[in-house]
Amino acid sequence: MPVQGIRTVTAARNGVGAFILQCKRLDFHYCDWAGSSRGMVSFLKNQLTAFAKENPQIEIRVSPRPHKHPVIKGHFINGREKAVCVRNLEPEQIFQKANLLKQNSGEKNKRTKKPVTSINESVRGIWSPYHGGLKGV
Amino acid sequence: MKRLQLQRWSSSALSSRARTGGRLQRHLYSGTRLQSTNSYSLQDQSLGQQLAPPSATSDVPKFTKRQLPSPPAEAARESAKLAALHARLYLPSRLPLETLARCLVDASADPSAQFNNQSLAVLGNDLLSNYASEHLICTYPRLPLTVIFAAMYAYVGPKTLLAMSREWGVEHAAAPGGEVDPGLLQYKRLDPGAKPDAEPLVGTTRPNEDQTTWRRSITSSVVYDNEFGDPERAASPPAELSDEPFLMNDKGPAPVTPEAASATFARAVMGAIYLHAGRPAAKRFFEQHFLSRQLDISKMFNFQQPARDLTRLCARENYDEPVAKIISETGRRSRTPVFVVGIFSGVDKLGEGTGASLSEARARASVAALKGWYLYSPLEVRVPSAMEEDGAAPWKPVYVDLGEVIV
Repeated sequence: MPVQGIRTVTAARNGVGAFILQCKRLDFHYCDWAGSSRGMVSFLKNQLTAFAKENPQIEIRVSPRPHKHPVIKGHFINGREKAVCVRNLEPEQIFQKANLLKQNSGEKNKRTKKPVTSINESVRGIWSPYHGGLKGV
Repeated sequence: MKRLQLQRWSSSALSSRARTGGRLQRHLYSGTRLQSTNSYSLQDQSLGQQLAPPSATSDVPKFTKRQLPSPPAEAARESAKLAALHARLYLPSRLPLETLARCLVDASADPSAQFNNQSLAVLGNDLLSNYASEHLICTYPRLPLTVIFAAMYAYVGPKTLLAMSREWGVEHAAAPGGEVDPGLLQYKRLDPGAKPDAEPLVGTTRPNEDQTTWRRSITSSVVYDNEFGDPERAASPPAELSDEPFLMNDKGPAPVTPEAASATFARAVMGAIYLHAGRPAAKRFFEQHFLSRQLDISKMFNFQQPARDLTRLCARENYDEPVAKIISETGRRSRTPVFVVGIFSGVDKLGEGTGASLSEARARASVAALKGWYLYSPLEVRVPSAMEEDGAAPWKPVYVDLGEVIV
């Protein structure tokens, strides 16, 4: 057997070919009675249809959550979920929160130190101590 | 160039309702299970003159949803998950939601060939392996066959398809059934602790399969095995499509792993795109979702004796005998010696490698030389399927090498 192949799996590069939106579901919870849901109820009545039409990739669920503050929960493709409490917010502010969840990757927030992160091999190559630029002692 | 009418050809892959038959035929089919991948509007118009239009009360009460093995077609329009998945994958609008729902029904959930994704998956698998193999062979014309098999497995193998269907956001149903949301992948799950491949594969396409001690050459796996070089179960002749409705009963089809079910789903999506939206859309889908993934082929080689292979390769190509020479060294007598060795054929340096011993450095140099040969890629790559586009330039034969050396 001169050479054997090693089986691997290709790595995804979201956005290089197709782009898959990472937010797959948004749950809107509201309360009919409580005053903190006033903005949320208005958002659900007036703006949610347009928001859903703009983002057909996202499954949208609306359900009451009596005697609790209104919440938007985002479910992401990596299996995590993020919840944002929107009590006492105006419909425009709730729209911004829904957009925040829509554009989120679902990962935990982390600090990026490098300007570029890539799985591609470096074009310049890795410096080798044995080739060129040798310093005489 | 004349457009091919895929819908007409693919009638065997789609259900009986999708066929454009006579009025009598449609009338005969209308009494069977109300699941289909095409809408009722056309049929209702033609039948409406003779009969009362089939309403929910006239046809459905034969079976309730719970008795059906997979969700009925009209449930597809009401599923938010399914519509979201359709939009998330940017599927063409010509691909209806009903077909996408059918792609999500595995044969282990619904054994009826008219309602599961088996036929779509067969077509999709052929398309995927065709596009992947032509890309690999035209881009890397000197790859050894074992590496081509491994690269095919990396591009369109079941593990990759499982990862892709996860990245598409496809969720799995706990158990299949007619009442389940059609946006969930439906298959019969294995019992906990059950081993998926406990029994050896029998009934393969390979002759003398019971002789386990016989040598299986890599060339024979091109002929007998599947696109990944694995033995494959021989295709049984297709069973007669019966119009008898299948209802849930005690004994059912064998359960499958999530990996197999997800792979079948991804293949079925490819087949469905080809059938409904045509060849250009299918190829675009392949390029965007499969080919755009990252694969480092230079890490897929496993050499046993690289120096011997390189010698045989140079003999085959009529190059001078490869000679290993020390380019530089440091600390030969120390605890951490480093040797830089180059492999030369005549005056040409084929490869270079470093190592802590002379033999290690020579082996690394031979591997570098062999990879330099095998990973050659022409500058302008054109695959045979590019000829299917309208107004394609005349075909020039591509360069494909003999392959690996035989030792």
